[in-house]
Amino acid sequence: MATVTNWIDHLSAKEVVGAVYPGAGSTETLLVILGVVFWIGWHVITARSESEKLSRLARKRHGANDHKSNITDW
Amino acid sequence: MQCIVCHASKNFIVFRKTNKEREIMDDQLGALTVIFTEFYYWVTVVLMFLIHVGFCMYEVGASRYKHHQHTLMKNTMVIPLVTVTWFFFGWWIYWAFPTGPGIAPSIMNDSTALITDESTFSAKWYVANTEFMAVNLGDRISGVFWAAFLLFSWTAASIVSGAIIERITTFAFGILAIAIGSCFWVIDAAWGWHFDGWMLKILGYHDAYASGVIHAIAGGFALGVLIVLGPRIGKFSSSGEPRNIGPRNPWLVTVGLFLIYTGFWGFYAACNIPIFDLGPEYGMEGVTYWTATNIYVTPTTLSGITYNFLMSLSGGLLAGYVVAKGDPFWTYSSGLAGIICASAGNDLYHPIQAMLIGAIGVVVAYKMHYWVERKFKIDDAVGAVAVHGYAGVVGLIICGFVLNGYPASGYNVGAMWDGSTYASINPLGQFLGAIIMFGVLGMLPGYVIARILSAFGKLRIPREVEIAGLDYEIMEDDREAEKAVASSTR
Repeated sequence: MATVTNWIDHLSAKEVVGAVYPGAGSTETLLVILGVVFWIGWHVITARSESEKLSRLARKRHGANDHKSNITDW
Repeated sequence: MQCIVCHASKNFIVFRKTNKEREIMDDQLGALTVIFTEFYYWVTVVLMFLIHVGFCMYEVGASRYKHHQHTLMKNTMVIPLVTVTWFFFGWWIYWAFPTGPGIAPSIMNDSTALITDESTFSAKWYVANTEFMAVNLGDRISGVFWAAFLLFSWTAASIVSGAIIERITTFAFGILAIAIGSCFWVIDAAWGWHFDGWMLKILGYHDAYASGVIHAIAGGFALGVLIVLGPRIGKFSSSGEPRNIGPRNPWLVTVGLFLIYTGFWGFYAACNIPIFDLGPEYGMEGVTYWTATNIYVTPTTLSGITYNFLMSLSGGLLAGYVVAKGDPFWTYSSGLAGIICASAGNDLYHPIQAMLIGAIGVVVAYKMHYWVERKFKIDDAVGAVAVHGYAGVVGLIICGFVLNGYPASGYNVGAMWDGSTYASINPLGQFLGAIIMFGVLGMLPGYVIARILSAFGKLRIPREVEIAGLDYEIMEDDREAEKAVASSTR
């Protein structure tokens, strides 16, 4: 996976290769796909949990001042 | 048409061909120029982070106790959501869309198509899977420049966030934040901020520190969302009279706005190119002229824009104090509105011009806010549409008069509507630019996306939850935990 194994050889080459991260030149597309799946997955998971939470709370029909009884004793 | 940028890009800020940068960095002065530029943008990014800190504090201070935590988390999630989408496609849009596409030819390749070819500043280099979107020894600038623009994107999304507190779902806000932060604002940046943007060529559009490019569009977008979202419960009486739901923690709002001011310094610096030789860039043979430039690559000075930043802040504060009768919430916001209004031309204005323009913007924004609130029952919880939207629009229009006749670019000065050359700054171009920013790319998409989300029942939280408070369950759990702790003896 290492793109660079010897800095002296790497930097003294006639054409220095700029990309030095692991898997340079072969893994970028896969990484983007993984990133997009992670991003979309986050939306799906959080949207579902938010809907459940809002529905649960809505069913309880608390009043506008009920939250004041939840303020902890300082 | 001569492609000046391609011929003279050697010392420009973005070097993406590995050995091109190496050539420039072969001598110490060249290396210093590159690494200074890299460090300069990095510092602006850190400074601009304070804008987001400020927005978070401001929103929490403006919200009611039972909504605090959700309000904070909603705006906090702007950071990851806009960042990842900015990486995946936002940055690509900026480099691909300057031509429209199809509106005016690029000075790099003479084409009106999306810029995705081998041009020096092509979007091709900013596809998410290229080697330049990573640690690359041959490109020391792209990452910090990407981040500077990303922080602008957070700001655009955060502006919208404040207006819609206490009644929007986090899911809907996430979608809207991505839309404004990684899509619509960056289209307007490609059109009206990029050195190759069609709005510069056809309209002579000028907006050096983003009166329109960030603020008018975000204000317009927020207004579009608010029309669909509706007011908070209790904001208007049964007869339609607006009620004041003032900030619950004015001191947190104060600190938040001071932090936004602080971050705004970084924003101004980030809109400049710190060191640049305009001689070869403009094709002037034998001429060397090192200077800072604005985003359009026309000369200005960091010193000059510092005068104007402070004077427009002062003009805004002075006017805000008068019109709001000393109300701290509006006075602080007016300082911000003053800077926003003068920003379009703050690269060239005299400081007193900047101060007066800032003051005018504040008066218009303040009056417009209350007029729109009463007339259309729009509940903008923090005055974001006024401070960013109306002040931004006014600033663009005033800029067209005050800077009338200045070239919109250093390249190929020509006539309005020509398209292949750059028009001069003028009132009509700025007015049309303001409509594009606020209306076409701001309000319209905001309205349409909000309508779609609303149609799916995903836009607004249930009425019962809004009454109970978004944090109700969290507070209830905390109370139980506190009871248990209080009754513990060991």
